[in-house]
Amino acid sequence: MRVRPFAALLGAALALAAVERSAAARPPRAAPAADAPRAIPLPADAIKRLQSGDPAQVKSALDDVRTSARAGAPAVPAVVKLLQQGMSLPLTQAAIDTLGDTENEGASEALAWYARHRNGGLRRAAVQALARTRGPAAVRALRLALSDPDPGVRGLAATGLGNMKAKDAVGDLFVALDHKIAEAAASIGQLCAGNECDRLAGKLGSVPFDVVTSGLDEVLFRPASDVSDDLKVKIVGRVRELGTGEANRFLREVQTKWPKTWSQRVKQAIDQAVLATSGSPGSSTAEPPPGGAGGGR
Amino acid sequence: MKRARMLGAALAATAALVACGGGQTKLDLFSTNWTDDGGVSIGHVWQRVGSAPIAPSADVVIGVAGHTDKLIGLPLGGGSKWTFAHPLDARPAVAGSVVVASGGGEVLALDAKTGSVLWRRPTGGLPLLGAGDDGTVTVVTFRRAGNTGSVLLAVGHDGQVVRQIETDKPLGAPAVLAGLAFVPWAGQYVSVIDLANGDETARVTLRQQTSRAWTEGGSLWFGQVGFVRFDDRIRQASQNKATALSVPMRELPGTPKLMPSGSAPLPAVANAEDKTRIYARPEGTDAGAALADGRWYATYFRLAMGFGAGKGKLAWVHSHGADFLGGDAAAGGVVLCDEQGKVTELDAKTGGVLSEADLGEPVEACVVNVDGEHLHGTPADAKPLADQLASAVLADDPQLVEAQKLLLRELSSLEDETATKTLVDLASDPRTSPDLLVVARKALAARRNGASYMEAALERHYDYLHDVLRPPPVGPIAQALGAMKERGAASLLAAHLLDPADTDDDVKDAAAALAVVAGPDQLPTLRQFFAMYRATAADDDIAAAVVSVGQALLALEDETGRAVVAAAAKDPATVDYARERLEALLASQPAPSPGNASESGAKKNDKKNRK
Repeated sequence: MRVRPFAALLGAALALAAVERSAAARPPRAAPAADAPRAIPLPADAIKRLQSGDPAQVKSALDDVRTSARAGAPAVPAVVKLLQQGMSLPLTQAAIDTLGDTENEGASEALAWYARHRNGGLRRAAVQALARTRGPAAVRALRLALSDPDPGVRGLAATGLGNMKAKDAVGDLFVALDHKIAEAAASIGQLCAGNECDRLAGKLGSVPFDVVTSGLDEVLFRPASDVSDDLKVKIVGRVRELGTGEANRFLREVQTKWPKTWSQRVKQAIDQAVLATSGSPGSSTAEPPPGGAGGGR
Repeated sequence: MKRARMLGAALAATAALVACGGGQTKLDLFSTNWTDDGGVSIGHVWQRVGSAPIAPSADVVIGVAGHTDKLIGLPLGGGSKWTFAHPLDARPAVAGSVVVASGGGEVLALDAKTGSVLWRRPTGGLPLLGAGDDGTVTVVTFRRAGNTGSVLLAVGHDGQVVRQIETDKPLGAPAVLAGLAFVPWAGQYVSVIDLANGDETARVTLRQQTSRAWTEGGSLWFGQVGFVRFDDRIRQASQNKATALSVPMRELPGTPKLMPSGSAPLPAVANAEDKTRIYARPEGTDAGAALADGRWYATYFRLAMGFGAGKGKLAWVHSHGADFLGGDAAAGGVVLCDEQGKVTELDAKTGGVLSEADLGEPVEACVVNVDGEHLHGTPADAKPLADQLASAVLADDPQLVEAQKLLLRELSSLEDETATKTLVDLASDPRTSPDLLVVARKALAARRNGASYMEAALERHYDYLHDVLRPPPVGPIAQALGAMKERGAASLLAAHLLDPADTDDDVKDAAAALAVVAGPDQLPTLRQFFAMYRATAADDDIAAAVVSVGQALLALEDETGRAVVAAAAKDPATVDYARERLEALLASQPAPSPGNASESGAKKNDKKNRK
């Protein structure tokens, strides 16, 4: 079997992206329900410890802010100030991670500095944190990070832009996809509109199948208010036209996951596509489509 | 048994040579018991033939084509191209008006203008060493099988063997003048053989390596590593007082030779030594001898270079489309023949192309002989030396790297902004070889002009999405701009401080330059860099950059800057390398007392920036 390096890299990249997406897909925090864990309040002396100048106290305070997550917002200016004054590498890393956990836009400018640090680990941490603190500064930094010399940073930036719903970055993400930043496909799938989604589908055949479908999967499972049924049917048709085993496997997965309450028209298109590709080389025709109604029944 | 067979073959070869009669000589020629006669005998020869006119030899290019079984002749200055099919076992030679070639068990002479056969003789497979011709008789030397000596054969244009001499001495390429064969041998002697009787009538000892004799420009010359003229001073040759001429010593890529040894057959197919050669044309003068046009030439694969005769200063470089295989210096320039069979005449003064001709097909080897032809005309593409050097050093051809390194040094010595641009381009190009890159960066750092080209380069940054995968040469540019105190470049340099794709030493140099040229506009970037790296610098380069930036902050912000730097100098988290130097920096620049602040470098920079 011929090993394709890009495909191998792609697997790892997609796995990473999937983790990111699943994290991002978590429902936003709402007001705590009666049975939900309560947010841990920021200790009263946390900010004082952050300003102490003592590395041990600073570290313990950062840990506390991190534990408080969004509730640690009052400490964000102090942490930002620490980053703007400079700290040792471990404390810098901890501060970046902490700011990410606060998901506070006020941290984005300082994090953007470190998204350009010479230390690749700090850059990756900063890019991940920026994807959570959001805001225009974060979008600017992540778009710039798509051109980073480190492929890890580029991939995280692409994923982050999708999670941040940075629709203005779709053009950059297409360029990134053309430059083998596989994570860009899923983000495009999260952000694309009309022709852009069609353009992504048009990558089938020129970009590895798994990469493109990581984006098409996102498009298909966006709500109808965001992506029309017409477009979804068109995308299903594009995949169906490939007539390959991998197309059949992808369509079967979509068929399995398709919510029962969602468009029956799209579901019918998926069912027919599964049937039409079931005889393709490499498709698992021996098994009936799991959970699918099967257009031919 | 094998040895016996080889000897038998050699004898057979000798027998074949003499098969058709002619004067045979087996005298005590080329004896090493000879005592230097102080130039008496060669003086007599000079008196005898010195005033004899020497006709120019043929101006012709001979290509070896096919599977070394085809000769293509291209007369220069008029005449039709000719071809002659014959196997070759050595490189052909042009002598007088004939082309001599060996192969297929015979030696033959062709009319250089028409390619028609003048004579042919069997050789038994001995390869040609060299040939001379005076219009009546052709003298050819061969190396005997097993490198056991040499054979000299003199054949009249009517095909009759005039003389045949065998010797165990290594003979070189001979010349003929007025019935006398001038035969170099043993690397230091030229024996004069009277072809009428076969006697060695004279001998001269030369004080430089000599294996070739030839006529050129109306004179007879001996040499290999240089030129010795046969004139009235030849009698003093053994005292090293003959008219001698050499090409100035200078660094050249590939250590090319002026002439290959005449004592070993040249292979029919050209090799690397043919591609890296020196060409020069000696001319007799009233004072003795000089190089024609005050020039000599060198080739290195597909580059040709012209040098001044005096100190060997580079005058021009010609970048060609194919490797040169052969050539000859002429009056007015040099004629070169390439592996594609193209013949190019280059102007001595500028290196511009004077004319081009074509042998019609690729060649395996090429022999060029120019004597009477004077190259003239207006060069078609003469460019300034800086532009020629730029073309040569930017050529994407790995085999040229050695020459490019040398040419790069030549380029660096030019006070021309184009040279700076070329260095910037070369140091920015991802295809530039690592060896060349080192030289280019060093040269760029030493430039003191062309700031606009450097600033244009600094505008580029590594950009994966837009396929800019090599950052500009920030370090060398920073060194140059810092030395030139180019304050207009400060913002560009500052942007590179924060670029993670730049190398550590590039960042160090950018910071050092900013310590000189930064102004208030750069303060935000300087503060950011200082904060980001004072405690996270991974190595001494970045720590040194922190110190330089600290220096700039001190210079630009009397109080705030000092407070920031002082705090860093006290903070144990600041990396040791930077902390120690920041402390020293603060100590060397005491805080100005209020109301008595002297004008610091910062303020000077500030004023200049405001201007």
